[in-house]
Amino acid sequence: MKLIKNNVYFCGVQDPHRRLFDELIPLPDGTTYNSYLVKGSEKTALIDTSYSTKVVEFLECLEGESKIDCIIANHGEGDHTDALKFVLEKYPKALIYCTQKCCDILVDAHEIPLEKFHVIADGEKLSLGDKTLQFTIAPWVHWPDTMFTYVEEDKILFTCDFLGAHSIVNEVFVTPSEEYLQGARRYYGEIMMPFRTQCKNYIQKIEALKPEIICPSHGGVYDKPEFILEAYKEWTGDIPKNKVVIPYVSMYGNTEKAIVYLEEKLTKLGVKVDKFDLVKDDAGEYVCSLVDAATIIFAAPMVLAGPHPAAMSGLILTNALRPNIKFMGTINSFGWGGDFMGKVKANLNLQVEMFDPIAFKGKAKAKDKEQIEALAELIAQKHKEIGARN
Amino acid sequence: MEKYRCSLCGYIYNPSDGDPDNGVQPGTSFADVPADWTCPLCGAAKDQFVVQQ
Repeated sequence: MKLIKNNVYFCGVQDPHRRLFDELIPLPDGTTYNSYLVKGSEKTALIDTSYSTKVVEFLECLEGESKIDCIIANHGEGDHTDALKFVLEKYPKALIYCTQKCCDILVDAHEIPLEKFHVIADGEKLSLGDKTLQFTIAPWVHWPDTMFTYVEEDKILFTCDFLGAHSIVNEVFVTPSEEYLQGARRYYGEIMMPFRTQCKNYIQKIEALKPEIICPSHGGVYDKPEFILEAYKEWTGDIPKNKVVIPYVSMYGNTEKAIVYLEEKLTKLGVKVDKFDLVKDDAGEYVCSLVDAATIIFAAPMVLAGPHPAAMSGLILTNALRPNIKFMGTINSFGWGGDFMGKVKANLNLQVEMFDPIAFKGKAKAKDKEQIEALAELIAQKHKEIGARN
Repeated sequence: MEKYRCSLCGYIYNPSDGDPDNGVQPGTSFADVPADWTCPLCGAAKDQFVVQQ
């Protein structure tokens, strides 16, 4: 347990060996499940618990605590609530404070009896004696059940998953660095990006609140909140960067050669390019790059009478993450037919301007390369028109 | 009153049902739904909704 400030403690658990989140997102740096203890003069509150694989370790953290009166569940997801039942066993008089939606989720997922819950109203306060907790219902960061908790006297804001990162910070407090920001950005891309509008709104509210310390549920604690708040302002901004992301699949190298050619042409025009092999590369790196990209060019071959499944999977993921991209195009290598662009359009919900598709039989020949070069020029021009940042 | 569909996830807003769980009473036209209301399934904003034909 580590002291954050004035009887507020960090009692989180590290998970350095975890490799995948949601069976989807790679965790190159493992992660943490942060929990906090707020000891008021009359009552003690535990803020969020832990994941199923860390229950024993988490309970050991709480070993010396003789009483916990309230358990604050800012969010119902299992990585923060799997240990709830076990905490309740140890502290049977404790009540769970959470939103109605969180209560529904926890009753359903963990079959905790309803009488263990105190459903909070927006803005409700809970006195712990010399400390007051205030609850703010803040949905969609990243589930409908999310809320923030604020310790008024110490100006500490608990945002649960919002503003977190899948990073392990041994010293608990984050030392601002480019490296940490990359991890936080990746995390934002992976789960917060679909809710950009809500994120923007909450950043404004948090800036107005001016907390001294922000405690998320993954990664480190921010005692310099402006570090992460400024980053979120950039990531949720409206104007993307002068960058193209090229998610691709290539079976025999033809698609790859075509996109490498596109990359060359774009680079010559001063446009940044990040390409990702949808089969081999880290999906998290792809998503991280999407955060501020202006254009996506999906490139894949046909196989088994349709676009390569990994490309469709990449498209579904991209769609679900709702990045702030403005333009999209496709490059497709086919053997004897198929409608790659048609399949992409049918699975796309994003509001983007679609470029004319480029498709070629087998490998890109001279006239296909001309089209690719023309596409690069068009992209550069469109980026300039929207004022894409360099 | 017209029904509206979330273009991101397909949820249908039916004015005769409203969305009482989120404070929108039955009988509320889509235009009268508060500007900060979001799709109860996926969190999309009002401007992502289209008229359901």
